[in-house]
Amino acid sequence: MTPKIRSLFVVPLVALACAMPGAAAAEGRLSLYNWGDYISPEILERFGKEFNVKVTLDTYGSNEEMLAKIQAGATGYDIVFPSVHMHDIMAKLGLLAKTDLNKMAGFANIDRAALRAKSDPAGEYCLPYAWGTVGIVYNAKKIPELKSWKQFFEYARKNPKKVAMLDDMRETLGVGLILNGKSVNARKPEDVKAAQEIILKHKPDIGAFTYEVIPLVQSGDLHAAHYFVGAMMYVLEKPDTLGYVIPEEGATMYQEDICVLKSAPNKANAMKFLEFMMRPEISVLNTIQQKNGSVNLKAMELLPPALRNDARINPPASVRAKLQIFEDLGKDLKTYDRAWTKVKTN
Amino acid sequence: MNGPPASRWLGAWGVGFLALLYVPIALIFAYSFNSNVVNMMAWEGFTLDWYRSILGLPTQLAKSDNYVQSTATLLAAVRNSVVVATFATLVSTAIGTATALAIARHRFRLRRLYQGLLVLPMVMPDIVLGIALLIFFVSLGLDLGLHTIIAGHCVFLSSYVFVVVSTRLAGMATDLEEASSDLGASPWVTFRRVTLPQIAPGIAGGALLAFIISMDDLVITYFIAGVDSATLPLFIYGILRRGIKPEINALAMLLLTFSFLVAATGLWLRSRRQ
Amino acid sequence: MSPGSSRRWALAGLLTPATLLLAGCFLVPLGIMATYSVLSPGLYGGVEWEFYPYNYGRVLGAPLGDVEEFDPVYAGILLRSLRLAAVTVVVCLCLCYPAAFWVSRLPGARKNLVLFLVTLPFFANLIIRVYAWMLVLRPTGVLTRAFDAVGLGAHAPDLMFTEGAVVIGLAYVLLPFMFLPLYASIEKLDPALLQASSDLGASPLQGFLRVTLPLTAPGILGGSVLVFIPAFGNFVVPAMMGGAKVMLVGNTIEQQFLAARNWPFGAALAMLVLGIILIAMLAYAWRFGRVDGAVRP
Repeated sequence: MTPKIRSLFVVPLVALACAMPGAAAAEGRLSLYNWGDYISPEILERFGKEFNVKVTLDTYGSNEEMLAKIQAGATGYDIVFPSVHMHDIMAKLGLLAKTDLNKMAGFANIDRAALRAKSDPAGEYCLPYAWGTVGIVYNAKKIPELKSWKQFFEYARKNPKKVAMLDDMRETLGVGLILNGKSVNARKPEDVKAAQEIILKHKPDIGAFTYEVIPLVQSGDLHAAHYFVGAMMYVLEKPDTLGYVIPEEGATMYQEDICVLKSAPNKANAMKFLEFMMRPEISVLNTIQQKNGSVNLKAMELLPPALRNDARINPPASVRAKLQIFEDLGKDLKTYDRAWTKVKTN
Repeated sequence: MNGPPASRWLGAWGVGFLALLYVPIALIFAYSFNSNVVNMMAWEGFTLDWYRSILGLPTQLAKSDNYVQSTATLLAAVRNSVVVATFATLVSTAIGTATALAIARHRFRLRRLYQGLLVLPMVMPDIVLGIALLIFFVSLGLDLGLHTIIAGHCVFLSSYVFVVVSTRLAGMATDLEEASSDLGASPWVTFRRVTLPQIAPGIAGGALLAFIISMDDLVITYFIAGVDSATLPLFIYGILRRGIKPEINALAMLLLTFSFLVAATGLWLRSRRQ
Repeated sequence: MSPGSSRRWALAGLLTPATLLLAGCFLVPLGIMATYSVLSPGLYGGVEWEFYPYNYGRVLGAPLGDVEEFDPVYAGILLRSLRLAAVTVVVCLCLCYPAAFWVSRLPGARKNLVLFLVTLPFFANLIIRVYAWMLVLRPTGVLTRAFDAVGLGAHAPDLMFTEGAVVIGLAYVLLPFMFLPLYASIEKLDPALLQASSDLGASPLQGFLRVTLPLTAPGILGGSVLVFIPAFGNFVVPAMMGGAKVMLVGNTIEQQFLAARNWPFGAALAMLVLGIILIAMLAYAWRFGRVDGAVRP
């Protein structure tokens, strides 16, 4: 081999050697598999320091991506953060480890109403993590006050292509179901069909089906967009430009739970993490950073009043009564798949 | 081509083409100075902090309420991406070139079959190849990590290199090679002294393309990546819903500058030697 | 060793790595998915081990179309994706051909530098490159401002979330896929040939059509294949620049594996895509007698 060719091989080898994890100073490891940007980095740092554990965080973009990967056999992850209906599915598939977290002392801090998974009513498997609503984020300079889906679609008709909805089968068909006064978990084909028709009727006025709307709403390229409460992060920073509303007709809500996988290689550390997340002073760090709903009653007390009393994040009981959460539909999911394909192709 | 006017038109087109290529790069550069801590698309003010933060210097932006510290993760992802792309490019360039040579310079029974097979990995939809590779690796009992990503990338990168090198080989005269072998040169010497210099532009093009594709691959990588082996596209995808931080722009500019300096130095050294 | 056997050894040496790689890491996964495509979907993703060919009926109709409802929607999705990919190929080809010609005619050292400059922008991540185009095309973006600057503000096109934007995005992302094979094939073109054709009285156009084009055809074909295939399956660019308002093959298959949790149907769609491309290639090979033109006489 000429020296030039040899260097072609040596350089990457050195690069690989540098990339290998160095002799870890930490005793153990904990591998989290979470939605992108869905946990405060400070929490991971504190946990790592306190328990002398090297925490790694890998991310996914949807429940289904995570499920497909775990189902195909990927291992090495200790903890996942599925939404409630995905928690139920993973329980049915036997992917979750029993943790008996309801016997831990910190469990008293957790809101019992947040034990929403049907497969886990007593909290023996997963710890409720956080919750939020899915409403509308809007540019307050273009639309001074937005209150409802009806107003959203009327505005869209007068200003075509200036609004966006989520590129999400169940969320967007869910808006159609809500407008028809149906459950977002409707199983009757005719109900789903009617929802499909509503979305199709408004489709010419909708600019895009997408999740990446905040910068476009902020710049005025879009005027309003279907989005989740995570928008509050930006709304609170730019209150005169951005607004977020839970529509009058009602909305969907979501909640994620912290689950330990049956295949977890570091189960003991995973248990420590669950206990750690029950501490009010830790839980509140996350809520302050994420600006979403908390399920830890003690942590709520520690929350700055401005956040705690913001009705867009923690709505009053009258609004909460109008929130619906997705359930697993089993075989009937097919009806939604067909309807969504129609929405996207017509 | 024929006389000055045509070549002037060609030159103008070429310069226009380069300008078009660099319009987005100019915007990436401009927005890398954006002080918006969440999203590069909404301009807020001028700052050098993103460059400072990548270089490990203290910044003002870190004090902002919405700032999420992720520089270390970002740099780890870049390192993973570069390692994967380098190895996958080396291996797939060798494999793709060898196969292209076999098919262009030899007649054998399964030639057509190989040609068809080599194109299929590119055609296989990403998510399908990703999940299938994951199932395959898991059933082999492999732990997921950089090595599985490299292996997975080689599968489809070899196809791209194969096509590019094949276009170079197509219709290329073989008399020089025959002369060399008639003069008693071994196949290796013929390859090294005659064939390789002739097809070098094709190999270089294939390797560049392979490197670019490997650095950008998202869907296949998502499925075959293991714990703590996220690459740059996976990192960016993870923060996409929240918004792309200008830090990514700054990083892209640093990577471009670095690649440019390396290549320019290399080319300069070579031209001096000649 | 006889020359024949040494050639045979050389051939074996050249083919072994690709054979191992393809047999292990491609044929096995392909087999897995081909099998999945005729199984019944698991309720929560994955498959049930029960023979179920009707996934194909949903796209192709009778005779498999009675158990799973046949839906012409999927044929439409395939056609739309084919059309979009074809348009992207044409745009890339028109942009790249003269540019590749220009680069190949530059003097030595400068040629390599410019060649590198052409690929350099693509070292920046794909998603940021697409974002940069959104900065150009959005209603308050660079394009509108440029129209304003020359006093044509009222005529500024609103390209954001249109099919035009998708083509711009795809073409930009895939430019090097066209440029590099084109360049590899144009660079070896001997200018003496063109000179000869012009000496023999051929017009520049005739010279181009009779000499340049046929000699660079392998590059055109190679580049077209490399652009067409990723453009056909891409869904990141249509989602970001087109607003995901139309379904394309890429996101239809993704939806089956993820949101709809119907792996067998997704696998069946993928097999159909593979089939279409294979048939196109075979038809081409049959019509022109070669796939890549790289046959040694």
